[in-house]
Amino acid sequence: MLHDARGYREAVEAALADGHRFASLHASDGGSVVHAALVAPDGAVRLESVRTKGGAAPTVVDVAPAAGWDEREAHDLYGVRFDGHEPLRPLVDHDLVLSHWVVPVRGEDAYQVAVGPIHAGVIESGHFRFHVVGDRILHLDARLFYKHRGLERAAEGSSLADGARYVGRACAACAVANGLAYAHACEVSLGLEPPPELERARTLLLELERIWSHLNDIAAVCAGVGLAAGNNLFTALTERARRVNADLTGHRFLFGAVAIGGSSLELDARQVGAARDELEAIGRETVRGWRELQFSASFQDRLPDIGIVDSTAVARLGTVGPAARAAGVALDVRSTSARLAYAGFECRLPERPEGDVRARLEQRSLELDQSLEIALQLLEGPLQPTAATSVGKEDPVGVGLVESPRGATLCVVERNGNRVQRVRLRTGSYANWPSVAYAGTDNLLPDFPLINKSFELCYACADR
Amino acid sequence: MLTLLRDLRRLRRSIALPRPDRGRSLALRHVDAGSCNGCEHELTLTSSPYYDLQRFGLGIVASPRHADVLLVTGPVTTRMREPLLTAYHAMPEPRLVAALGDCALGCGILGAPDELVGPVDTLLPVNLRIPGCPPAPETIATALLSLVDGRREHDGG
Repeated sequence: MLHDARGYREAVEAALADGHRFASLHASDGGSVVHAALVAPDGAVRLESVRTKGGAAPTVVDVAPAAGWDEREAHDLYGVRFDGHEPLRPLVDHDLVLSHWVVPVRGEDAYQVAVGPIHAGVIESGHFRFHVVGDRILHLDARLFYKHRGLERAAEGSSLADGARYVGRACAACAVANGLAYAHACEVSLGLEPPPELERARTLLLELERIWSHLNDIAAVCAGVGLAAGNNLFTALTERARRVNADLTGHRFLFGAVAIGGSSLELDARQVGAARDELEAIGRETVRGWRELQFSASFQDRLPDIGIVDSTAVARLGTVGPAARAAGVALDVRSTSARLAYAGFECRLPERPEGDVRARLEQRSLELDQSLEIALQLLEGPLQPTAATSVGKEDPVGVGLVESPRGATLCVVERNGNRVQRVRLRTGSYANWPSVAYAGTDNLLPDFPLINKSFELCYACADR
Repeated sequence: MLTLLRDLRRLRRSIALPRPDRGRSLALRHVDAGSCNGCEHELTLTSSPYYDLQRFGLGIVASPRHADVLLVTGPVTTRMREPLLTAYHAMPEPRLVAALGDCALGCGILGAPDELVGPVDTLLPVNLRIPGCPPAPETIATALLSLVDGRREHDGG
C-alpha cells in the first residue's frame, strides 16, 4: 500500500508489532518510490510503500535494523536519502574514500588488517577490513559488491522469460532458489497457480540444490579447520550430488530447470529409480562421515564458542536460514510455502542451539538428512511436464519467497505487461552478511576464516 | 577415519585423466573477476578425491607471486579490473593466463554494460580457454593438464 512519509513508518511499525518480519526494501521508479516487504508468521508478504519527497524517505532502520543494507543500497543505486539513517554509509558505491565506509575505531594499539578482494584460496572476491587489537577483532567492515554486475538493472525492460536468465545467473549456488523466487513472483503477478505436479517438481529441485550445497558447506568447515580427510569425504559427496543433478536435469547446478508458468522436467521410472539409489547411498555415506567427524577431537575442539550469533542477535540482525535455526529460531520458509510440496514440514533444530560454529555445522547435518528424506519421497514416481493454471487475479506487483540453502530469499517483480519494470532479489546471503561481520566481533582473527566458512555465504548472490 | 581414506583413494581411479610427464608442475592463482560462483564451485572440486589435481603437480597457491598461471573467472566487473591487473603484474615471468568459463571468454554475458569491462582477453593475453557454464571439474582438469604439457613448448624444452 502506498503511504505518505508518516503513514509509511506507522504501517511498518504496526506490521512489526503484529509479528511480521522485515524481509526486503528497495527503491524503484528511478528512486521515486520505496517499497518495504514484510512477512507475516503465516508466510503472507505485504508491501508497504512510500513516495519519496525531494529524494528522501523516512528510514525504518531504527525499528528494523535488518533494513540497514537495503537502505544503503537504495541510496547508492537510486539516490534515495533516508531521513534518520545516520551515518548512511556507502555499500555498493566504491568510488568513495576509505573513511566514508569504514566505521571509525580508535584507541590504544587498535589497527586495521585489510584482506581481499582477492583471497588466498578459491574464494569469491570481497574485501574484509578487520579492526583489531593484537589477535582480537574489535570490529569488522565487510566491503562487498566487487562482483556487482548490475543484473537487476540489466533485466529491466526484458520480457519476463528473459528476466529469469538474469536472476538465475546472479548465483550458481542458489540458481534454483533465486529462479524459483522470481518465477513465483511472476506467477503471483500473472494470477497463475501451480498444480501439485508442478509443486512436486520445484520442491525436488530446491531440495537437490540444498543437498549439494549442505554437503559443500560441511566440506568447507572441514577445510576451514584443516581436516583434509573430512574435506575429501564431503567434497567427494558434493561431486556425487552434482552428478545426480546432471543425470536428472542435464545440468550440475540445475540451470534452466525452473521456468515461469510450468516445468518441462520429465523423469521416467528408470531415472527416478537411479536417483533414489544414489541419494540413498549419499545418505549412508554422509551418516558414516558425520560419525567420523564426531570422534575427531582436534576437529571438534575448534568448533564451539566461536562466531556466536544467538537468538537475540538473530532477531535484531534479521538473520535467516541455517544460521538462524542454529540459534534455536524456528524460522524456515518451507513451513509456510503455499506454492510448494512441503505439507507437514517442520524444521529441525540442534540439541545445543548456541548459534556458534558447532551449532551451524550440526544444523547443516540435520537439514541434510531431512532434505534427503524429502527428495526421496518426491522421487517416488515418474515426473511429468506440467503448466501452472490461471486463476485470473492479476496484479502489477508480485512477490516470491523461498528457502534457499542459505535462508529466506525474496524476489519482488514489478511488471509492465509482459516486461520487467523492476526486479529486486534479496537472497539469504544478502540477509546474512551483516551477521557474519557481527559474528566475527570479539573473536580471534585466526578463527575468522572458520567462522566465515560456517556461514558459507555467496558473494555473487549479494553483489548481483 | 583410516577406512574412509582408503575408500577415497579408490575414487581417484574412477576417472582416467591424461597423465602429463612426470616431474612437471604448475602453480595456479585464481582470481574471481565477477563470476556467479559456479566456476569457483567446480574448480574447488578439481581437488576433490575424484580428480585430485595435486597428484599431477597442479596446485592452487595463495599468492600471485608464487604462481605460474592466473586462472580468471567471471565477465570482469569494473570493480575487479584493478585487482585483476595488480595480481597479474605481481606474478613472476614467464606467466600464463587461463580464462575459465563462458563469462571470462565473453560468451553470453549478462549484466549492465557500464558495470563490465569485457572478457579477460581485452585486458590480458589469454593462453588457455576453458569454455563451459560452468565447465565441469573433469573439463577444467583436462584443460589444465594440457597446459602442463604446453608449458614444455613454452619454455622451449
